Amino acid sequence: MIFDLFDNDYDEDGFRTCNVTGMSIHRSVENPVKVFGLTAVVALVVGGFFAIGVALTRWEFVGLLGPEEFYRWLSLHAWNLLIFWMVFMEIAILYVGGPMVLGRRLPIPKIAKVGWGTMVTGALVINYAIWTTEAPNQAPLLTSYAPLPSSPYFYAGAIIFILGSVVAALPFFVSLWQEKSWGEGGSLPLVTFGAFVTSIIAVEALLGGLAVMVYAFLWRIEILESIDAAVYRQVFWIIGHGTQQINLVAMVTVWYFLTHIVGGAEVVSEKVSRTAFVLYIFFINLGAAHHLLSDPVVSISWRIWNASYAFYGATLASLIHAFAIPAGIEAGRRRRGKGGGLFGWLTNAPWKNPVFSATIFSIILFGFVGGITGVVMGQVQLNMTWVRTLATVGHFHGTVALGTTIAFMGLVYFVIRTMFMREFRFGRLASLQPYLYAATMTAATLMLMYIGLLYGVPRRIHSVVRDIPGTDFSLSAAEPLMMIFGPFALLAIISGAAFVVVALASVLFGERKLPGSDLVPDEGVEFESDEPVHKFDMRGTFVITLIFLGAFIVVYIANWYLLSQLWSIGP
Amino acid sequence: MGSPIKPPDEDWWDVPVNRRESIWLGLSVAWSMILFGWMSLWTRIGDQNPIGETYDVSTEEYQEKVESYREEAETLDGSIVPPSDDIYVAGIRFQWRGLPVVVETGKTYKFHISSYDVQHGFSIRPEDVLSQHTNLLALPGYEWVIEMEFDEPGTYHVICNEFCGVGHSSMHGVIEVRDEVNV
Repeated sequence: MIFDLFDNDYDEDGFRTCNVTGMSIHRSVENPVKVFGLTAVVALVVGGFFAIGVALTRWEFVGLLGPEEFYRWLSLHAWNLLIFWMVFMEIAILYVGGPMVLGRRLPIPKIAKVGWGTMVTGALVINYAIWTTEAPNQAPLLTSYAPLPSSPYFYAGAIIFILGSVVAALPFFVSLWQEKSWGEGGSLPLVTFGAFVTSIIAVEALLGGLAVMVYAFLWRIEILESIDAAVYRQVFWIIGHGTQQINLVAMVTVWYFLTHIVGGAEVVSEKVSRTAFVLYIFFINLGAAHHLLSDPVVSISWRIWNASYAFYGATLASLIHAFAIPAGIEAGRRRRGKGGGLFGWLTNAPWKNPVFSATIFSIILFGFVGGITGVVMGQVQLNMTWVRTLATVGHFHGTVALGTTIAFMGLVYFVIRTMFMREFRFGRLASLQPYLYAATMTAATLMLMYIGLLYGVPRRIHSVVRDIPGTDFSLSAAEPLMMIFGPFALLAIISGAAFVVVALASVLFGERKLPGSDLVPDEGVEFESDEPVHKFDMRGTFVITLIFLGAFIVVYIANWYLLSQLWSIGP
Repeated sequence: MGSPIKPPDEDWWDVPVNRRESIWLGLSVAWSMILFGWMSLWTRIGDQNPIGETYDVSTEEYQEKVESYREEAETLDGSIVPPSDDIYVAGIRFQWRGLPVVVETGKTYKFHISSYDVQHGFSIRPEDVLSQHTNLLALPGYEWVIEMEFDEPGTYHVICNEFCGVGHSSMHGVIEVRDEVNV
């Protein structure tokens, strides 16, 4: 049965034509995509399991774990979800966006295997190092707070994982090089271009990560005598936040891909969308600086320049995609005669298809919940009220747990249907799952934000709401919101588990057959029409984006009001 | 044309942009400039800015500074009364050296923030209004001097909000703010 998973109906040369996308797919690309995708889902299961202990401890009404266990579980939750679930998926996305979209074989397939093996080794070493942490070592959480020591195996595992990721990305780069040097000239498809931008940002982030983890490892095994906390922080965040920027760009690429295939979206302006991707290359990694905004050492000019991604170059890029992608759906569907009024193109969309609904929830929730708060907390002064509180945790659950994770769930559903060729098991649950997860995780995420912002409850801490040992003072005013957070966090974990159940049951026990036409718009994925797509009406999108901008402005003003209530800080 | 998984037409750069998308581009550029401008402006007109000089300092040097400050200071109800405008605070697992301290409203103090061991989060909030909180970082090897002036009297609680070890959540200190401090 296992080998059955990796065998489709290929021709003599190993190619097949996908009856959904029309893409010419070679076995050497498809199988690694499945392997990386399945590995990512395993990481999701592990990280999701540890979420149970994290949520039930922060919900102090339950208070499941003692401090030592809590920090251990939090570390395993962070690394498996923020890093392993994401990065394994992203390598799969590079292979889809590169050789698969281009209709090529995967070049240097052995290197892909070596990369996968090295990544898995690194991930196992990190999990082992965290699980066996003993004093004087401390659980690293995500960041490892040098000079607070973590297990030397942790740094070694991180180095191995980073090297593995770079190796695994190499076949993608070679396929682009082949395309440009042996291809017919012309421009890359937008999805390939987006994947290429993702890979550039990834390499920047991974090199920063390699530098910082080698530095910390050498210190930890006592080759270096001391470690500079400020240098560690600055270099760490090149990868610490850089990995999250990889998630963002990969996710945007997935949005263009999936909205096109299952929703009939089209690119309304190649010029505008590609320019936005180029803005990411130049500016998005500067955003990592917002981890240092309430730190000593770096100057205020450095902070303002970097935190603003250089005059908000990367924010502008995201605002552009925020219009271009829904506009692509709207204009694409209107062109197919599926318009009707302001929002008819949206209401008549395939909402029962979990690939579609997951993609749309990802777009909306990433923008409204994760995106707005990211820019707000990235303002130098507002950062003082956000940083190191649960509000920050709310922000990155908006970006990663809502935005990227839901998009990647949609992609996994898509891979199950079109590459594993399986019908969904528990079909109704599959249709409902994106709704359940999006709703419950949104509620939990909003609670985290309110609890952090309105009550100053810190993140990365065992217990402060009910009890701060040694004092009568506590943050118990936050308890009512915690009573909402706890149950919704549990429901979100259950909804995430539902995804895993559907995904694994479908892959292992689903009926094997060619994906049906239910996945794509009635007229097929590619729709020919004489009328160019940019001439179709985009007024529905315009209204949605104006509502988005309005929400942005309201949140922005509210945050500045909160800040202005503080005592005087600074000159 | 319009497919993101196929190479675009050769003239893709010259294809016109929809009018509403152009308007959105203008709004986006304007909003980005407002975001930047306001943040920059607040450093000049605003009262809350995480701005202050940082000095390299060894742990031993900083310990000497804190201890000589404590020796020089008098105490009031168990709290340190700073002898001048300077207040020294050091994070050390799992306490705040230099706290509790008592300060006057309307007077500008220079908080010297550092750590004797690992990273600590210097997070302050008044007891009665938890939505007012600020979060600064104490780093070993660096002395950050940042001015603060409290306008409301009350008990301000300091907790550590950067992970510093298993006892992290017990790290607590107090800044007592009074209208007048008479020793």
